[in-house]
Amino acid sequence: MRVILANIVAIYRRELQSYFASPLAYVVAGVFWLLSGLFFVFILNVTIQRVAYADAAGYQGAIDAPTQFLQSFLGILSSIALFILPILSMSLYAEERKRGTLELLATSPVTNWAVAIGKLLAVVTFFITLLLPMLVYELIVLTATNPPVNLAVILLGHLGLVLLAAAVLSLGMFVSSLTDSTILAAIFTFALVLFLWIIDGVGQEIGGWIGAVFGHLSLLKHYNNLAQGILDSSSLILFGSYIVLGIFLTAQSVNVFRFQRS
Amino acid sequence: MINVEHLSKTYGTTAAIEDVTFSVEPGEILGFLGPNGAGKTTTMRILSGYLPATSGTAKVAGYEVHEDSMAVRQRIGYLPETPPLYTDMTVESFLHFVARIKGVSAGDRAQNVESALEKTSLVDRRKTLIRKLSKGYRQRVGIAQAIVHDPPVIILDEPTVGLDPRQIIEVRNLIKNLAGNHTVILSTHILPEVSMTCNRVAIINKGRVVATNTPQSLMAQLMGGSGYELEIEGDIDAVQPRLQIIQGVKAIDRLTAELPEGRHKLKVTAETGTELPGRELAAAIVEAGLGLFEMRRIQATLEDVFLQLTTEEAPLEADTESDESKEPIESGETTGEAG
Repeated sequence: MRVILANIVAIYRRELQSYFASPLAYVVAGVFWLLSGLFFVFILNVTIQRVAYADAAGYQGAIDAPTQFLQSFLGILSSIALFILPILSMSLYAEERKRGTLELLATSPVTNWAVAIGKLLAVVTFFITLLLPMLVYELIVLTATNPPVNLAVILLGHLGLVLLAAAVLSLGMFVSSLTDSTILAAIFTFALVLFLWIIDGVGQEIGGWIGAVFGHLSLLKHYNNLAQGILDSSSLILFGSYIVLGIFLTAQSVNVFRFQRS
Repeated sequence: MINVEHLSKTYGTTAAIEDVTFSVEPGEILGFLGPNGAGKTTTMRILSGYLPATSGTAKVAGYEVHEDSMAVRQRIGYLPETPPLYTDMTVESFLHFVARIKGVSAGDRAQNVESALEKTSLVDRRKTLIRKLSKGYRQRVGIAQAIVHDPPVIILDEPTVGLDPRQIIEVRNLIKNLAGNHTVILSTHILPEVSMTCNRVAIINKGRVVATNTPQSLMAQLMGGSGYELEIEGDIDAVQPRLQIIQGVKAIDRLTAELPEGRHKLKVTAETGTELPGRELAAAIVEAGLGLFEMRRIQATLEDVFLQLTTEEAPLEADTESDESKEPIESGETTGEAG
C-alpha cells in the first residue's frame, strides 16, 4: 500500500512538473483567467444594474443579488471549463504513447491504476490552481454584501465545479489513452462531454424511463444542484462514478492497447 | 537468470516469434542478433513484461514475466527501441523520477542517480533539459534510466543506434563493465558489436532462434568457410590430388582472377570445425614442383555465419543488401556445398 502511494505521488509530481514546463499550460491558464475575469466583471455589472432597475421601478420584493450573481458566474465558469478541460486532458496518455514513455511506465513496478490516479490528481490540481484567483475575486465581492453570503454556499459551488472537472478529466484521460494523437483526443473528449452536458435535454425530449436515465446521467443538471448550494448525495455519487469509471477504463485500455500494438 | 521456453507471439495470423527457446546465465551478456523485423524487439518486450506471449514461458530470476509481472519489473532495467524520455525534464530529475517509480528507497536515490550519471558520462549534462540533448546523449540517458535502480537483469534494445563511433565504443565498454554484476541481453544488427561485447550470441531470423553459442564457436561450428586461398604457378591439375588427400580438406575450388599467364588461384576449404594444416598444404605444392606465390588464411567471420543462417540460399560472400548482386555471385561462387 505504501509503495502504491509512493508511486502515485511520483507520477503526480512528474505530471505537475510537466505543466509548469509546458507552454500550453500557461496559454490555457492565461485564456481561462482572461475570459473568466471578463465575465466576472460583466456579470457583476449586469447584476448590479438589474437591482438598480428593480429599485427604480419601485419593486418591493427581495432580490437575492449575491446568490444570483454567484450562480450566473459559476454557470459561466463551467461553460468555459467545458472548452478548457479537453485541452488539459488530451495529452495525459496520448503524449506518453507518442513519446514511448508508456513503455517505461508499463515495464516499471507501477500499476496502471497508480499511474491513472496520479495523473488525474495532477491535472485536477492544475485545474484547482486555475480556479483559485476566481475564488479570491468572489470572496472580495461577496463578503462586501449585506448580509454576507454563506461561505459554505460559495465553497460548495466550487466543490461542484472541481468534481465536475474531475469527472470530465477522468473521461478525457480515458479518451486520451485510446490514441496517440492529442488533437483527436481533445476533439473526442469535447464531443463526449458536450453529449453528457446536454443529455438532460435529450432525455426530456425522449421522455419515459430512458429520458429519466438520461436526466440522471447529465453533468450539467447535477452541477447546477451543487452550484445552487444543494448538497445532494446522488450528485456526489454521479460525479464519483464518472471519475472511477474513467480511471477504470484508462487502466484497462492501457493494458489492452499495448497488447495489440506490434 | 533468464529462461525462455517455447515462446511464441502472434499478431492476428502473423507470427512475430515462434518457439523461441534460450537461457542466459547470471553475469552473462547475451547478444541478440538478427535482421530487422526478425522478432528481436518482440522477444525483449515480452521479457520486460510489456507484451504478453501467446504461448510459452519466459522467466526472469525465477519469476514468470506475465504472472509475476511486478516481481520481474522490479528486477529488470529496460531500454526500448526508442528511449522513453520525458523531454521536458532535466537529465537529473528524470533519473530521480525513474528511480522513484522503480522503487529505489529515498535514502539510496541520490547515490544511484549519481552512479548512473557517472557510468553513462552524463555528469556535465545533469541540469540540461532532455529536449536539448543530441541523439547520442539521449541514448545515453536511455541507458542511464535502465541501470539507475541497479537491476540484476538489463535488457537493451539496440543500445548503440544513433551514436557516433566514439560513443559506440564508450557504450560497449559500459556494457562490458555491467557484466558480472548484471545479466545483460542486448539486441543489435551490427555484427562486430556482438563479437566485441557478448559472451554468447543468439541468432534470430523470421521469429526463430536459429543458433545460440559463443561467437567464437558459432564461427567455428557453423562454418565450412575457413581455409586457405592460394596463388600457384604451374600445372594445377597435378597438385590438386595431392591437396585433396590432406586431412581436413573439404573442397578445392578454382577462383577466377586477373592473373599473369600460368598462375592460378585456388581456394581450399576446410571441413566444418577443423583447422587445415597450412604447412602440409605448402609442402604438397612445393613437392609437386609448383610455385607458391601467395598463401592466405581465410577465417569465417560472424558475417558469414549470420548470412548463412539468415539467408535462404546461403551464398557465403553474397551481399544481401542488393538482389541484383545475388545471381553473378551464385554462379561463380565457391560455397562450402560446392565440393
